[in-house]
Amino acid sequence: MTTSVAPAPVPVVTAGRGVLVGWRGLLRLALRADRFRIVVWAVVVAWLVLASVRAFDSLYVDAAARQARAELIASPAATALAGPGFGLDDYTVGAMTANELGLWIMIPVAIMAVLAVTRHLRAPEEDGRSELVRSQPVGRDAPVVAGLVAAVVAVVAVGAATFVLLIATDLEPAGSAVLCAAVVVVGLVFAAVSAVAAQVAGSARGASALGLAAIGVTVVLRAVGDARGPRSTSVLTWLSPFGWSQATAPWVLDRWWPLLVGLAATVVLVGLAFALVARRDHGSGLLPARVGRAHGRLGTLVGLAWRRQRTSLVAWSVAIVLTALLVGAVAGSVAEFVESDSAIAELFPAGSSGAVASATAMYTAFLAVLAAACAGTVLGAARGEEDAGRVGHLLALPVSRTRWLVAQVGLAALVVVLTMLVAGLVMGVAADLSLGESGWVGELVGAAAVQSVGALAVLGVAVVVLGWAPRWYGVVWAYVAYTGVVTMFGAILPDGTDVLSPFAALPRLPAQPMHWPPVLMTLVLALLVSAAGAAAYRHRDLTA
Amino acid sequence: MTDVVAVDGLVKSFGRTRALDGLDLHVAAGEVHGFLGPNGAGKSTTIRVLLGLLRSDEGAVRLLGGDPWADAVALHRRLAYVPGDVTLWPNLTGGESIDLLGRLRGGLDPARRDDLVARFELDPRVKGRAYSKGNRQKVALVAALAADVELLLMDEPTSGLDPLMEALFQEVVREAAAEGRTVLLSSHVLAQVEALAGRVTIIRSGRAVASGSLDELRGLTRTAVVAGVRDAAGARTALAGLAGVHHVTADDEHVTLDVEPDALDAVLAALPAHGVRSLVAHPPTLEDLFLREYSDELATLRVPEEQR
Repeated sequence: MTTSVAPAPVPVVTAGRGVLVGWRGLLRLALRADRFRIVVWAVVVAWLVLASVRAFDSLYVDAAARQARAELIASPAATALAGPGFGLDDYTVGAMTANELGLWIMIPVAIMAVLAVTRHLRAPEEDGRSELVRSQPVGRDAPVVAGLVAAVVAVVAVGAATFVLLIATDLEPAGSAVLCAAVVVVGLVFAAVSAVAAQVAGSARGASALGLAAIGVTVVLRAVGDARGPRSTSVLTWLSPFGWSQATAPWVLDRWWPLLVGLAATVVLVGLAFALVARRDHGSGLLPARVGRAHGRLGTLVGLAWRRQRTSLVAWSVAIVLTALLVGAVAGSVAEFVESDSAIAELFPAGSSGAVASATAMYTAFLAVLAAACAGTVLGAARGEEDAGRVGHLLALPVSRTRWLVAQVGLAALVVVLTMLVAGLVMGVAADLSLGESGWVGELVGAAAVQSVGALAVLGVAVVVLGWAPRWYGVVWAYVAYTGVVTMFGAILPDGTDVLSPFAALPRLPAQPMHWPPVLMTLVLALLVSAAGAAAYRHRDLTA
Repeated sequence: MTDVVAVDGLVKSFGRTRALDGLDLHVAAGEVHGFLGPNGAGKSTTIRVLLGLLRSDEGAVRLLGGDPWADAVALHRRLAYVPGDVTLWPNLTGGESIDLLGRLRGGLDPARRDDLVARFELDPRVKGRAYSKGNRQKVALVAALAADVELLLMDEPTSGLDPLMEALFQEVVREAAAEGRTVLLSSHVLAQVEALAGRVTIIRSGRAVASGSLDELRGLTRTAVVAGVRDAAGARTALAGLAGVHHVTADDEHVTLDVEPDALDAVLAALPAHGVRSLVAHPPTLEDLFLREYSDELATLRVPEEQR
């Protein structure tokens, strides 16, 4: 053939340089990938908020009870776990919801926003997906816009669902609107933080870690700030997005203006992210990639699993132990609270130490659920390694499937048990100090050891899912969430709801006496279930 | 000699898809065996069954005299594997990955490891996430070749390697073969297989369609002959009449034809009458052999016959 086709002239893009071209398509892709995730987040968060409000209603039946609660929550240690303490002098259910629940809605939403942005903005660069996309007529900024908008959609969905369910309660809709808006603004700020982190960090994991670290630091800033200056009067509080959103004081002052701070920060951070996009290379961050060792010392499967997950595992453990520390530190206030009021003291026949025992027992069980979630991430990572083909690489060596699986499960079990024992120890020491007594250390280490058996049972369920149906690993998260809900809200749920939770079977030390049979049975069950999962794992095809 | 790999009637299905449909594959000890087939023909599935990563549905599979599923660990001490698409641990350096794989195997020869790292020009200090495809491939090659094993299972081992590294790879495989190791080389770089393999198996839709030494396979197919002659038109007429001669074409000075092995004598006898000035005969390349097995597929792909 001698004829040639003259190339068509490149169409001139008149609006800007076309850096945004294609963002709508990417957004549709992101929302399609996330459609179930968004619905689950919205339903779970909204439902938990509703259940908590109902619980406040039924637990604190009159103003006197709520006022007593206000005195308890005003202590610095309790403030660090709750909120800035607006409306403590007239502690309505609304004030209580905003003060004690608000932070615990905002933190998960912030985590969700960080992970959503990294997932759509940075992770595709690592597996080569975005290279294909970017070779199409798609602008450099389009992934940023799509990732941010996808996160905003998720955040707004959670806020809207929560608002709808709050309408169903007796709370003032105006306050509900302020709270939900405050939650949404926290989500927006951290979506923007994550967009910046995605430009700076050297990898997708690094970007997630940076975003989650920002959440951790600002949660602590708020905690310290509020403990030093109640009702959002400390400068430290105003350095934290959580501080801004909590300063709205829903149902007490219903202030909207602090949200402007969050919105302004969002705009600045998004602008920064766009400015940075043009300054980095595809697939790498602004922080330079460092060279490492030419020879490795790593030579065991447990060592490898630890190396892959140490950042996440250390973060989980620190979070659990810090929570234990705060719970122990509140023990003194709990005791004072019970002793200060004869009417309340009647509720606790065992006296103030009985109240401390029931509070620490409840929190120890809650920490064990967190430890179970941590164990779930270890096996979730194991599944990810299999999908990536790296497990196949290892099993092509003289490494048996059992040996590989035992390393993963063993690491998870070790982290669970050690973290729980340290948490019990720390909670005990803090309780002894705040109460000026001794003897709580032994009680609470024992309580933590007993509850860690429940976490091992959840780990066993995760092994079964990994062995039988690795594609359905989400079931593990549903199960962890279920055990968390029935552990925290078991008292207000219908009888029998908690029948599938291992934590429900275990004695809640130190509020209940030690009872060996259920502990041993749960332990044996955990081992049997793990063994069944391992047997299934040995007999199936590798996923990749 | 006993077969290192002996696969008979292997069937493996994924849901409704029958990835392997009665595959036979025999690799003798000490040979480099080429395993050919286009994407999706079942090469990787076969190798993953041989590694015990997948369970066979039907058929007999023996590897180094053992059962690849039941005796996986013992067998893996005696073999090394190079996947075609290597995923490394993103936060481990290449050197750390090589040493990790070596320790889990029970030790690598450190001198051989360092020698291979140098020859493949691999920077072992780079993190897994920062390597290019070719460099990830080199990490897996070094880890496998530094191991003291009897059998190398290689699944498109050089995808992403540059031509210099491809040449080095061939050299290293020849060295391994000279040491008496057996190599199963799955590839669709036909020139590579032609250079290295003594015997080949061609698979199609999960079945072996041809297997044997290259000479045996060549014996089944036609030789291409191009003769420069004074009387091209006359030569064309004369040759087209012979049995076992196909695709005879002519231009002003040349006649071109494909000749079956049995007809070569007759062609050589007929040519002098037309004044031969030049003669080129080339045996079928592996590419020709391969494409012959897939000629109907090329037809459906609408590749014109003269390009086949």
